[in-house]
Amino acid sequence: MKSAKTVNLALKALGTHKLRTFLMMLGVIIGIATLTVIVSVGKGARAKMMKSIRNIGTNAVMVFAGGGKVFGPPDEKTNTLTLDDARAVLETVRGIKSMDTALVRLGRTVKYEDNNTDTVIYGGTINYGEAWEWSVESGDFFTEEDMNSMSRVAVLGRTVVKELFGDADPIGQNIKIENVNFKVIGVLAPRGTSPMGMDMDDRVVIPYTTASRRVFNTTYISLIRMAAEDPNDVGRIEEEVASVLRERHHIQPGFPDDFRVRGASSISKMAMGAMGTMNLFLGLVSLISLVVGGIVVMNIMLISVGERVKEIGLRRAVGATKRDIKNQFLLESFLVTVMGGIAGVLLGLVISVLLPRLMPKMAAMPSLEPFVLGFVFSGLVGLLAGVHPAKKAAAMDPVEALRG
Amino acid sequence: MIELNEITKTYRKNGGMEVKVLRGISLNIGKGEYVAIMAPSGMGKSTLMNIIGCLDRPTSGEYRLDGVSVDRMNDDELSAVRNRKIGFVFQQFHLLPRTTALENVQLPLIYSREEKDMDAAAKAALEEVGLADRMHHMPSELSGGQQQRVAIARALVNDPAIILADEPTGNLDSAASSEVMAIFDKLHKEGRTIVMVTHSDEIAERAGRIIRMRDGGIVSDERKS
Repeated sequence: MKSAKTVNLALKALGTHKLRTFLMMLGVIIGIATLTVIVSVGKGARAKMMKSIRNIGTNAVMVFAGGGKVFGPPDEKTNTLTLDDARAVLETVRGIKSMDTALVRLGRTVKYEDNNTDTVIYGGTINYGEAWEWSVESGDFFTEEDMNSMSRVAVLGRTVVKELFGDADPIGQNIKIENVNFKVIGVLAPRGTSPMGMDMDDRVVIPYTTASRRVFNTTYISLIRMAAEDPNDVGRIEEEVASVLRERHHIQPGFPDDFRVRGASSISKMAMGAMGTMNLFLGLVSLISLVVGGIVVMNIMLISVGERVKEIGLRRAVGATKRDIKNQFLLESFLVTVMGGIAGVLLGLVISVLLPRLMPKMAAMPSLEPFVLGFVFSGLVGLLAGVHPAKKAAAMDPVEALRG
Repeated sequence: MIELNEITKTYRKNGGMEVKVLRGISLNIGKGEYVAIMAPSGMGKSTLMNIIGCLDRPTSGEYRLDGVSVDRMNDDELSAVRNRKIGFVFQQFHLLPRTTALENVQLPLIYSREEKDMDAAAKAALEEVGLADRMHHMPSELSGGQQQRVAIARALVNDPAIILADEPTGNLDSAASSEVMAIFDKLHKEGRTIVMVTHSDEIAERAGRIIRMRDGGIVSDERKS
């Protein structure tokens, strides 16, 4: 009852000067809104990253030929990765459960009767199923024998099946890949979208030997796909694979790699790195806003104390102790900053929702955590900024204060 | 009720010069008395009021209020005494702006340690001064006399032993003055102790006892029979 009246009177005092109260809140609003964006975008980025990692597999390590930063197989001019590299990796690095090496070409034409589609041709090994943890849903995968005899057999992804055959059964049918005849022997289970937004089901898998000698006429490979025995080992395997390849490719320290190793560990490191810079910047914005906001609150509270000297005198006369006066002004600055904090969280959540629409690469996940953070930080700013004005108010001599 | 014994008050001015505002005041005011203190301005009557009201401390001398010595009380204890035993009425009303009459009257209750029904107590006090129908009005919506009556209700709300009024009609026209003075008369009849500082002989005449001060001392103390 009494505390309700006290809060009510404090709110009334704040309501008296609406512009002033808004100015007091402004810095806190900006600071807390920024903090909210950091939390939401951080959560969004983490969720996106976790999805990427799940998508390529938590125990997956991939090596792509060619340097640079992008994810995925290179174009065909990149001749840097060989089967010997793959063999050396398999011999040197411990903890690899399975390895598939592949010659990959993008955007090649595949025909069935009058239908044709451009797709990914993946010339892999019989380890495909284990290394990708990806099996056929109907028909069979090719065999060791197919590899040895450079059989013209193909396993199709779901998307390719749909493009060429519609709802018809493709198994046993003949298709043309780059004008070479192939027989469809199986269909891969659906896999969905890759971390970079590629349709993983838009591919045709054929034996590496066939791809190398009969179709593309090259012995270089485009990628190595490995499955680690233990997902916790992925970080170590990534590092060791990189160092084996650097040594084999005679890359001096300080020079860029001509290959890219990608796994759960490096993906999260990259995502964290990008997020870290942004968080540092936004964190600084938030900190500065809160400090500036706090200084504004302190100054306006000092003005307010100066204007309400008579009120302070009166309250002392009717029985307020020094502590009562101090608490009253602390409560006012606490309330004003907490209200600013709540407004800031709401603003931050709105920004978090709008941000991904403006910047499609950005992912934001609004959550309830910012309310806790906003309350704690804004309350803290209010209390710290209010201490000096409140003490000044409490220290006034009641007789002098009543005189005004 | 109020026992002052050889009270002095000395201020040190900025130049370091000491100014004796009260020079050994001894005074007893009994329960239920209605006392007017008269003095030319600057002659220490406000200081005396502040000391009686426990807002200020004497430099020397002894002050017993309601049988209790207040000389050695700390700031918190003095605040509690002001809250429970003293009701102030000021010349400038000192009402909180943009705050209803009811909430203004409740102010002392916020600082009271007793748990009371705040609305009921404030309403009763406003009824006492005849403003029950104005309790939701803001001070700016009330006349000067009505504002001072709200201030009197605020002084009454904690049922104090003493009402201290410092020029309560100083800012009012004669009609409002008599309105306010009628309330003091009524409070006196109900048995409250009232100490009032005033310039006006006319106002002082209504009190049962007139104390005149000059140069920090009491020059006369008359009781009406």
